[in-house]
Amino acid sequence: MLFRFLLAGLLLAGSYAAQAAALDSKKIYQLNEDRVFQVRVLNRETGKKSSIGSGFIVGDGSRIATNYHVIGQVILEPDVFYISYIGKDGEEGELKMLGLDVAHDLALLGADKRIGEPIRMSELPPRGAPIFAMGNPLDLGLTIAVGTNGGILNQTDDSRILFSGSLNPGMSGGPTFNDRGEVIGINVATARNDISFIVPSRFLMELIERSADGAFDADADLKLEVARQVLAYENSYIEQLLRNEWPDLDLRKFRLPGAVSPTVRCWDNSAKLSASARYRRFQIRCTNKNHVYLDEDNNFVGKLIYEYFWLESDELNAFQFYKLYENLNKDQIETKMDRDIVSNFNCATWFVEVSSQELKSNLCRREYVEYQGMSDVLFTAALTGHSDKGFFITLIMTGVDYEATLPLIRKFLEHSEWRP
Amino acid sequence: MAALILEISTRGLHRYQQINEEITTVGRALDNDIILSDPTVAPHHLKIIRHGDDSLEIVNLTDVNPTRVDHQKLASLVTRDLPVCLEIGRIEARILPRNFAVAATRPLAGRDRRGHLFGHASWSVALVLACLLVSGLDFYLGSYTSFKWGDLFKIVLRETVLTIGAFVLVLAVLERLLVNRWEIRQLVTSVCLVYLCHYLAANAADGLDYLFSASWPTTLFQFGWYLVVIPAAIALYLVNISHLKPGRSAILALLISSPIAVPAIMQSPALYALLDDFSSTARYHNNLSPFNLHLGQTVTIDRFIAQAQNLEAGEFAD
Repeated sequence: MLFRFLLAGLLLAGSYAAQAAALDSKKIYQLNEDRVFQVRVLNRETGKKSSIGSGFIVGDGSRIATNYHVIGQVILEPDVFYISYIGKDGEEGELKMLGLDVAHDLALLGADKRIGEPIRMSELPPRGAPIFAMGNPLDLGLTIAVGTNGGILNQTDDSRILFSGSLNPGMSGGPTFNDRGEVIGINVATARNDISFIVPSRFLMELIERSADGAFDADADLKLEVARQVLAYENSYIEQLLRNEWPDLDLRKFRLPGAVSPTVRCWDNSAKLSASARYRRFQIRCTNKNHVYLDEDNNFVGKLIYEYFWLESDELNAFQFYKLYENLNKDQIETKMDRDIVSNFNCATWFVEVSSQELKSNLCRREYVEYQGMSDVLFTAALTGHSDKGFFITLIMTGVDYEATLPLIRKFLEHSEWRP
Repeated sequence: MAALILEISTRGLHRYQQINEEITTVGRALDNDIILSDPTVAPHHLKIIRHGDDSLEIVNLTDVNPTRVDHQKLASLVTRDLPVCLEIGRIEARILPRNFAVAATRPLAGRDRRGHLFGHASWSVALVLACLLVSGLDFYLGSYTSFKWGDLFKIVLRETVLTIGAFVLVLAVLERLLVNRWEIRQLVTSVCLVYLCHYLAANAADGLDYLFSASWPTTLFQFGWYLVVIPAAIALYLVNISHLKPGRSAILALLISSPIAVPAIMQSPALYALLDDFSSTARYHNNLSPFNLHLGQTVTIDRFIAQAQNLEAGEFAD
């Protein structure tokens, strides 16, 4: 009886403690309004803001965490811009870079003095739990947005949390709290309509740990460091793709690689044809989602796009068929870039035997001007030798090490099987 | 003294006046022996005096646009050497002896020779029909949906008849201005020949592109066609049909072909590549052929990957 009484007492106390620990948005705001700042990129000449985001105190109290894309402009033009923070009471100061995690869109900045109490970090709460995003939307002042945790998105290599709440421009880099007031992630992007994305706090914790040795040289050419990080991430991604078991996908006479990773989604992309069309065409387009923000000019790299196209006709003669086939075989990398950003493409042509069929294959590469070792790669391969059947693969990868893409192209070709 | 001839050249055409009198006056006024109605000619521009010793005296009579002999201004000149070249205002003239040799007679292009391309109207008709056939064939090859005769007639009428008609009209007007003649049949034949050759050459260049896995045949065709073939065809026409001198024909051919050549070349990707050393488009050989004739060896995946490792980085533009 005494035991039951004690147990009941403990449960009640636990329940009470749990209720006491659960904070509402008002309380979280009040607790953290001195620890969340506006992070600004300012022009050295005019002293005016060029871009804004949010940040919050971490580490020893002199460090601010934010998104890489908030301060990316400084990496491109360090002589023109610098980073500063401004607090609730107008307290401001210059920040220097202490570490970058470009792949996960994080930056660690340091002030020359302690600026407040660091915010404690924690793991992700259960799916559906309330979470709270703080930041400075549209330069209108500090605010807090309430939403729920949608869980880790597996289509982005576990680097994004789905936040069913509203993030707005200017809130990037701000903290996302659980209901105990601990940071579980960093605001990073939105797809509007209350669909937003958060970077899990574990990547920030890793960045803080990596930066503890002080080896990061903020005065060096950081574009080299950005390129190194992007290439390391992309190489690791490609290696992971190569290790994966690729499911099959049947497209008429070809058996092809399906979604080669959970980060890839495949969609039917077949164009609707008029009733009088004398041919049939089928198109499947697969793309990944874990793109990496590079800078204002390049936007995102790390795209993997592959497309299969099948064309057939019983009614067109060979000349008509090939005229149509040739007109359709002209895929390009869609992003238009300037000469200041990328080189010209260099292309070469081969006739490659794949599963007893001959494919006219073109491989093109172009390099990034500012980011050493980074390339965009375009591979196309069109079936030849059939008068009434056409097929081509297009494979596009952006911001990658050219050499690292060749094993992936090889695996694509080896995995493609002609089924007469 | 033997009679002399004054040859007066206007817009490539010559007219001839005999100089029989001892003194012959030339000018715009109606009391002259030879009247030139050009406004740059003075009312009394010059006089030509024939002396008994077979010499000839040319006397300038005007201060405005004075007479020039062999490009030199003169007050008067006595000479026995013929021919003498004169500039009377902007009119060019020569004084020739009556026995001055003339150029050999040029045969009319294929007149009365049925086998000659320009010789008979039936050739013009046949070539127009061939152009319509080629245009129709091109439309047929591009009909990926059910074939519609109405569309065929529309496209053939719009693109072929109007194209050929417009070129014939423009060239006919130019010819009329240049040599004062209409030669519609020869023009139709020439324009149709160029039209057919263009179709054949463009397809041949495309086939060669595939054969060599290269783009130089099409590039060569695009530049060669507009910079060499078209001017050469016009020059040949002007020499052989319009009977103009080769030098003059060459200059006219370049002038006539430039409105066609310049826009065509400006739109060519090959020229774009020459003028601008940067393109964000990957220029790869996407052409395909039902014949699948190529000189490139078919390689295994291993060999392809091994060779792909040597693909050099793209070149940075200036």
